[in-house]
Amino acid sequence: MLIIEDELSLNQSMVEYLSAADYICEPVYNYKDALEKIEGYDYDCVILDIMLPGGSGLQLLEYLKKIRKPEAVIIISAKDSLEDKIHGLQTGADDYLIKPFHLSELSVRIAAILRRKIFSGQPVIIAGDIEIDTSGKEVSVNGNVIALTLKEYQLLLFFVVNRNKVLSKNSIVEHLWGDDMDFVANHDFIYTHIKNLRKKIMAAGGYDCIRSVYGVGYKMQVK
Amino acid sequence: MKLFTKYNRVNIIATIATFLVGSVAFYCELYYILGRQLDATLRSEQQEITEYVQSHNQLPEFESTRQQWITAVRSTNPLAKRKICRKSVIDKVDGDRDWIRQLIFSIKVNGQYYDVTVNKSEVETEDLLKLIIMVTVGMIGLILLVNYLINRKLINRLWQPFYNTIDRIKNYRVAVEKPLQLPKEKIDEIALLNDSLNQMTLHVFRDYQALKSFTENASHEMQTPLAVIRSKIEVLLQNDELNEQGIQQLLAIENAARKLSRLHQSLLLLTKLENRQFVPNEQVNMQQVIALKVEEWQDLILSRKLLLNIECEDVVVSFHHHLAEILINNLLSNALRYTPAGGSIFIKLRGPYLQVSNTASLDSLDAEKVFQRFYKTQSAAEEGTGLGLAIIKEICSLAGFDVNYTFEDHKHIFTIYFRQ
Repeated sequence: MLIIEDELSLNQSMVEYLSAADYICEPVYNYKDALEKIEGYDYDCVILDIMLPGGSGLQLLEYLKKIRKPEAVIIISAKDSLEDKIHGLQTGADDYLIKPFHLSELSVRIAAILRRKIFSGQPVIIAGDIEIDTSGKEVSVNGNVIALTLKEYQLLLFFVVNRNKVLSKNSIVEHLWGDDMDFVANHDFIYTHIKNLRKKIMAAGGYDCIRSVYGVGYKMQVK
Repeated sequence: MKLFTKYNRVNIIATIATFLVGSVAFYCELYYILGRQLDATLRSEQQEITEYVQSHNQLPEFESTRQQWITAVRSTNPLAKRKICRKSVIDKVDGDRDWIRQLIFSIKVNGQYYDVTVNKSEVETEDLLKLIIMVTVGMIGLILLVNYLINRKLINRLWQPFYNTIDRIKNYRVAVEKPLQLPKEKIDEIALLNDSLNQMTLHVFRDYQALKSFTENASHEMQTPLAVIRSKIEVLLQNDELNEQGIQQLLAIENAARKLSRLHQSLLLLTKLENRQFVPNEQVNMQQVIALKVEEWQDLILSRKLLLNIECEDVVVSFHHHLAEILINNLLSNALRYTPAGGSIFIKLRGPYLQVSNTASLDSLDAEKVFQRFYKTQSAAEEGTGLGLAIIKEICSLAGFDVNYTFEDHKHIFTIYFRQ
């Protein structure tokens, strides 16, 4: 995974978080280095900032598409206008994430794109005794299929992709309901969904892997 | 009043005044000249009579016509000088009162004085004068009429490029168009106008672009450090050794950073709205937007045990999709924030208006200030950015909608009237 972001500490955070999720990350901090890496190596996914010292991330994206590299590209940008988003996606980006974002959100977007583009033949994610078939949105625990609501499914996917990570209530709310909900100080309503999800997993004989982390949020503990 | 009308009015009044003064002067002049001519005829008549008397020593036979007649009477008191005067007499033929000119002089024939009166009618002169005046007045009228018609046609044509230019300016929007490229015109003034406007819109366009990229870059520059703060906190939260106090402080930092980022996004949106960077020219089905947003907020509404009443008609307005979502979102989040647990929210969408109301936990808000930026009530349980309603107001102003706030039946009511 190539991470192109000129802000040193943001780049480090992404590398740290994603490396912990077993991705092999390579950070670059400017246009010239990014161009060299793109020309010299193949990556599964490129995280791309738009405003870079020495050039624009969009130029890199155009170059990638010109030389027909199959890399998945996620743009991370502070430019939140609709035109920028549309322009980025039309140029060939697979996703567009507006700064600032939660690392867990970045992680779940990467996972979705990789499933779609790279592991297209194998859309199944396995975490402990949970198996998610993302093509049919089917979840089974210990081989028993369980029926989940859309929100529960999204929640489970978010946990599975960010397994063994503490997820703050804020990041869960933003992932499931969008960032318009952020004025809400009391996030109790996500508790209901999590409670139901845990019940269903346990009812199918699964291991109760979602833990509450006091004061912060939740964590899925998978060996 | 149109420039042409104004010009024409002044022009016509001045022309008529000039012609009137001119006509009076012309009349007086003509009258004077014709009178002198008449007097000259009378004098030459006197001359002829005098010469005749000198050579024949008797008075000539006087021939009388309708225009001229001469009488001679014996005089005991001869005039020292000849006398010319004007008199009115009754015409013997038609009985009209006519003006005549009279010359009286005394002459001595065979030692006897006679007073000879030469009368000449002014009727001919008057007729001539009348004819000349009529022709003149006719000419003046004709000249005025022709002048008016020419001006009207010509000036309308001359001003046409001006109106074309005005039409282009009226419809010009710096947010959506390139600088104006008005055509070159042959008339200097219009060419100057067009050139200046081309120049001006070019400058405005460049300044606008600079401002636009500045606000975007400023946003970028601010969001990046905020993204750093948030990502660092997220990484820190993974640390198992953190105690509760540490976690709480980290979360407080995260909340502040998020609020700052949110605040900045809102301000940026307001700037864009003020710059008219959105064009409300899409057909937006408000019912669908509301349904979508209500769906998104459903969990929160349920968890707070709020009662939601929706009465929606199928309403399509000329608007902007993204702005419609923001509008509904802000209205709803506002209602949610100020509704006490167990309260109700009402959404009513009719052809001409959208009304969102909620049961209030407090008294009426200040209707004057409610749409001002950073207006906050004393006891909002969950503080927003203080910009939500200001954004609603700006969006409405951009789309040409009206928005107002009222307080009735212990309910906050926000009503948006769509453009008809």
